[in-house]
Amino acid sequence: MLSVYLNKIFSLNFANLLNAIGLDFEILSSYTFIVVCLGTMILATVAGMVGTITVLKGQSLIGDAIGHSSYPGIIIAFMIGMSLDSVSLMIGAIISGTLAFIIIQFIDKNSKLNLDAVLAVILSAFFGLGMVLKSFIQGHPIYGKVPQGGLSNYIFGQAAFIRTIDVQLILAVAIPSLLILFLFYKEFKIFVFDEVYAKSIGLSSTLMYVLLVLITMSVIATGLKLVGAILISSFLIVPGITALQWSNRFSHVLIIAAIVGSFSAFVGTYISSVYAGMSTGPCIIVVMSGLAFISMFISPKGLLANWLRRRKYLNDLSKSLID
Amino acid sequence: MSENIIVKVEDLTMAYHDKPVLWDNDVNIVENSRTAIIGPNGAGKSTLLKGILGLQKTLSGTVEIMGKSVKQVYKKIAYIPQSNSVNWDFPTTALDVVLMGRYVHLGWIKRPKKKDIEIARNALHKMGMQDYAKRQISQLSGGQKQRVFIARAIAQNAEIYFMDEPLAGVDKNTEKVIIDFLKDSQKQGKTSIVIHHDLNTLADYFDHLVILNKRIIAQGKMSETLTQANLDAADMGGGFTIAAM
Repeated sequence: MLSVYLNKIFSLNFANLLNAIGLDFEILSSYTFIVVCLGTMILATVAGMVGTITVLKGQSLIGDAIGHSSYPGIIIAFMIGMSLDSVSLMIGAIISGTLAFIIIQFIDKNSKLNLDAVLAVILSAFFGLGMVLKSFIQGHPIYGKVPQGGLSNYIFGQAAFIRTIDVQLILAVAIPSLLILFLFYKEFKIFVFDEVYAKSIGLSSTLMYVLLVLITMSVIATGLKLVGAILISSFLIVPGITALQWSNRFSHVLIIAAIVGSFSAFVGTYISSVYAGMSTGPCIIVVMSGLAFISMFISPKGLLANWLRRRKYLNDLSKSLID
Repeated sequence: MSENIIVKVEDLTMAYHDKPVLWDNDVNIVENSRTAIIGPNGAGKSTLLKGILGLQKTLSGTVEIMGKSVKQVYKKIAYIPQSNSVNWDFPTTALDVVLMGRYVHLGWIKRPKKKDIEIARNALHKMGMQDYAKRQISQLSGGQKQRVFIARAIAQNAEIYFMDEPLAGVDKNTEKVIIDFLKDSQKQGKTSIVIHHDLNTLADYFDHLVILNKRIIAQGKMSETLTQANLDAADMGGGFTIAAM
């Protein structure tokens, strides 16, 4: 009896506190919000950390290509299984993303084309195939009978459709991914910083690539439903770019990227829950990109700091010349 | 004094995109020597180092280091790549880079310990870089960067140093520090194999020489190998005469 009473006071005070700082307790405590928020925050944390490595490796666009290329896998998985089951669609996304990645690597190794050209071709070929298949099954006598409204969610993402199973899937990917990053922190560090030296001390760069791609691929596949094939790569790239503006230490950069990711996910999810008609994924990305822009201006490595440094240098120079 | 061969390369052939870079080369590096590798641009000097170290595919040939395969002795080899192979935007400090020299002894997963940090600090100190330990790597000058990489090799505590143009783009002071380091290492029984491009300093800095232009033109003791005829044969004679030294 007492505990119920205490609880009430506490939650009321807590609610008042949140209301006072402009947050809606009603929304924050709703089941849907908690599920969506947990999902996006965990996803953004892992994506931010893994993405930092790909950004530093100069491969941000590969994430973009894999994201787009996973779309046809989702449609084909639906055509085979005739259901919108999250797990089977995710497996389809992984297979098609992996296939795209292998093709990209193969062409890049065996032709003289630039990597960005190869990425552009594969990205549009795969995504185009996905769109063709999707419109093909829409009016189809067999597939048309199964509800397929959820399929277009995988293009732009639809966080409102997130269920507990999706959060579990995200966790199932996030925990081993973070574990791998933590255990092989030192190996990733030297692999990204100085791959040739890493090889010379017996570190297999193939193995490191495989690990990195494996994690990236699974993060993308689990994130598709939330954020969509088109925008998922921003989850990987933007927090890393932001974090790199703030620190000169790899470990700190990874932590900042995780914080930027999860903070943006929280704010973005909240905004989209408060205002009707706002999609969660794009909201998160707008917040993330906002942080990235601000960092580019005001961080210690940002434009403002550079400008001040240059002005000070020129001032000192002109002073010393006058003297 | 009989000379031991510490690196023995036989029939090494390597190609880049179907274009042969190195043809059927036999190379013998003498133990405890300071060996320079010279050759014109595109002679395959870097490729040769990478081939020896197993970093790049070889079409044919065998490499023996201390009588074993590279995979068996890689811990005893410190490789200092050309500075353009490094990701300079990477968020890391000078001390951190030197600490990477300890990774090879740590094995997978394990983190560097106090003792490793101590070794890394000492290595930085030997290169006169102790005041820059916490400096972001991209904020260092060309010479300072190179000293950090030599310090990493010191921290690795190797027997053989392979260096790809360590003196390219460094200041005079750093050049002296690096050459002193090579001479010092030699006194400790170590061997260094260095790609070099300055013919004027060649005989001062090194005691053995390999002249390469896709094929081995000549190799052996500096005094016997550095001849006008050999330089001409490697297309390096233009504008340079031995007599001018």
